[in-house]
Amino acid sequence: MKEQFQELYYKHYKKLFFIPLIIVILALGVLVWNYSTTGDIMDKDVSLKGGTTATLYSSEHYDGLEEKLEEKFGEDFTVRDLKEFGSNTQIGTVIEVSNVNGDDLKIALGEITGLELNADNFSVEFIGGSLGESFYKQMAIALLLAYVFMGIVVFVAFRVPMPSFAVIFSAFGDMLCTLAVMDLIGMKLSTAGIAAILLLLGYSVDTDILLTTKLLRRGEGTLFTRLIDSMKTGLTMSATSFVALGIAYFLASSFVLKQMFLIILIGLLFDIIMTYAMNAGILIWYLKKKKVEQ
Amino acid sequence: MKKFMTWRVWVLIFALVLGAVALAPNPWADGVEVVSVDSESQAVANGLNVGDILLSINEFEINELGDVDDALGSLVYVEQEINVKTNSGSETYSITNDILFEVDENLTISNSEMFEDGSILLEINGEVIDDYEEFENVYSELVPKKTIKIITEDETIAYLSREVPKIVVAEEKTSNLVFGLEFTGGTRVLLKPVGEDIENDDINNLIDVLSNRLNVYGLSDIKIRSAEDWDGNKYVLVELAGVTQDEVRDLISEQGKFEAKIGEEIVFSGGNNDIPYVCRDDGTCSGIRSCEEYNGGYGCEFQFSITLSQEAANRQAELTKSLSAVTSEDGGRYLEKPLDLYLDGELVDSLRISEDLKGQATTQIAISGSGVGTTQDLAIEQAYQEMKGLQTILITGSLPFDIEIAKMDTVSPVMGEIFFKNMILVACLAIVAVALIIFFRYRRIKFVLPVMLTLLCELYLILAFAALVNWNIDMAAIAGILAAIGTGVDHQIVIVDEVVHGRKEGRVGDRMKRAFFIIFAAFAATVAGMLPLWNAGAGLFRGFALTTIAGATIGVLLTRPAFASIVEAIDEREEEKKS
Repeated sequence: MKEQFQELYYKHYKKLFFIPLIIVILALGVLVWNYSTTGDIMDKDVSLKGGTTATLYSSEHYDGLEEKLEEKFGEDFTVRDLKEFGSNTQIGTVIEVSNVNGDDLKIALGEITGLELNADNFSVEFIGGSLGESFYKQMAIALLLAYVFMGIVVFVAFRVPMPSFAVIFSAFGDMLCTLAVMDLIGMKLSTAGIAAILLLLGYSVDTDILLTTKLLRRGEGTLFTRLIDSMKTGLTMSATSFVALGIAYFLASSFVLKQMFLIILIGLLFDIIMTYAMNAGILIWYLKKKKVEQ
Repeated sequence: MKKFMTWRVWVLIFALVLGAVALAPNPWADGVEVVSVDSESQAVANGLNVGDILLSINEFEINELGDVDDALGSLVYVEQEINVKTNSGSETYSITNDILFEVDENLTISNSEMFEDGSILLEINGEVIDDYEEFENVYSELVPKKTIKIITEDETIAYLSREVPKIVVAEEKTSNLVFGLEFTGGTRVLLKPVGEDIENDDINNLIDVLSNRLNVYGLSDIKIRSAEDWDGNKYVLVELAGVTQDEVRDLISEQGKFEAKIGEEIVFSGGNNDIPYVCRDDGTCSGIRSCEEYNGGYGCEFQFSITLSQEAANRQAELTKSLSAVTSEDGGRYLEKPLDLYLDGELVDSLRISEDLKGQATTQIAISGSGVGTTQDLAIEQAYQEMKGLQTILITGSLPFDIEIAKMDTVSPVMGEIFFKNMILVACLAIVAVALIIFFRYRRIKFVLPVMLTLLCELYLILAFAALVNWNIDMAAIAGILAAIGTGVDHQIVIVDEVVHGRKEGRVGDRMKRAFFIIFAAFAATVAGMLPLWNAGAGLFRGFALTTIAGATIGVLLTRPAFASIVEAIDEREEEKKS
């Protein structure tokens, strides 16, 4: 078993490296396909597109609310129930729409549901279209800058270009795959989602730095034992994050937090592939090449 | 043998103690605290301060927030009508606690809305006033001074006054932590000025008018700050804790350009220049006048009087001089053109001008408007809010330029609390889960305990830091804390692994160096990744970036070094026991 595993890394490291590469290319394909059909790589929610999100706190479920609202305003509404975990009792209804303001929506909802809406049972979030657009643009730039800055830090730490590049490339691939999965399951990107991707970036780079440090610093044990070492540590790290976030995902009542946790969970799974296949593959390739040169 | 209490651990303990000072936890606090008090009031002159915990006001014991209203309400006098005669004219008006003017020893009147400064007081309610002493006697008979006794936790304040102390109170804080809108409930509005070439001065001007408006409206718990994004767009961020009335939102988003026109000519506009006095909170000249059923709902009319400046009154006289009078349907004689009131370019009301006002420089004008609702109560409330908003705008004038709401969220206080409890539950369970994973991996409770302890220390220190620099703990900050603590656990796992392996190979020192190389590299990468968030999206992510960086820094400098030395000591002891 151990031998097979070792063989995988010693002999088939190129294959190891190509599998995640194919996954990344597929992910890229999903994003490009989404871009060509919808005009953007991601479906954005109202926080990035502009619009109104209203939350109505009531234990009642309103049948046909979406249709009634759409008929009234002639706009595309998204309506979903807000449920408490465990009891699965309804605690509210969330309504999202792009071109209707909070006041009109409040009046219409009051009429449809027959409730008197006030600060205790009604919350509303509004974001203007132009701001949403510039938010998205700026957050995208912030993300790219984050990669560049992180790349510089990693390069300063290791002082060798190839492994530093591998770290950043793995983290970048991780993000691309996560975005693609979000596209595929129909999850819309929000400002909180972008924050989640930044969090993911932090976790992802952690495991990559750990791996790179272990493999590049020679002296103790063989390349393989060092790899196993770093895997043990890295997988424990991922496991704690995964379990903590998984519990948080199931128990959190906030939709925004739930979404953030789900994004990080997806990302953590890809991170394992990216770190121990892609990044490890590139590193072994690099080390072998260096040995040959010497 | 390695010691448990290394200098690193002592540094951490020192930081924890400092943290306690910063947080100043007081979980049993349930008093009522003064959060603001009019600095020119007699209560302040007699020693009442912001931060005092109220125990009683006169015979009223203060146990909860509502008690203060009851106590202060008891100090308000019954409304009475008085007649005041001066050498510049006589007026009859209602007063409660204040006679609404001041006189000096020569009976010269000042600070009055009714009389010109410099008028000499002659009579009050028919009694001739000859000197200041007589004035005081008459005043004391009309409005006798009352003893006001305020007992706070530290002192007892007692004084004679007519004044109702203007005190704003809140529940006593249980710590220095300030929670954001997501947990307390409230409204957050991001405003964007419309127009080109907006300078920083303009923004400061805008902030001044906005805070004035909100203060005049009667809100004290407000935060206003400017923000800027990469494209050079300027914003103003307003946070109103606990308040979610639509009216308030209108107040900050409306430019509030109030103009009264006859035809196309402006007679007067909002603000102190043209309107020195706006009557409000006084039933005799401001209030809801009538309600009636209308279109299946109700409509209520409000009315309040304003005083025009002499200059504005003259302008009105000039403009009405040339108008001819017509007889209206109800038989009254009115001028051919009405006085049209516009708010932000929209006609709010049209006042008919009676014929006898033609060419007159009247300074008293009644402004009216209406509110509608499905029930009479709703209509009254709506009319009342409209009136309060309009009064506020008339007093504070218009904003320097038009603004639009770029982003707004309101959170209901009830949901905020439910949400907060949910967060605590989730955090506790997630921490337990992490403990279990660590235990499965190392099978040693001795490692689980320090990991948990360090995690809690980090959480505590981040909160203490937030309290120290006065940050709000909002959603963004929670996400940041999550990031910091998550990577914190990761790094502790790295440390434990390196220590355990290092001992086996007999080179703990080298291994520890490597662990910290990994930790520092990851730390630097995290900080580098967070920096671009500083100004992105009008700085709404700044809280997230700051908490992440602060948390990571606390981890790297304080908790992880202490954790490392403790783990080393534990591991060594374990090993010795075995052998």
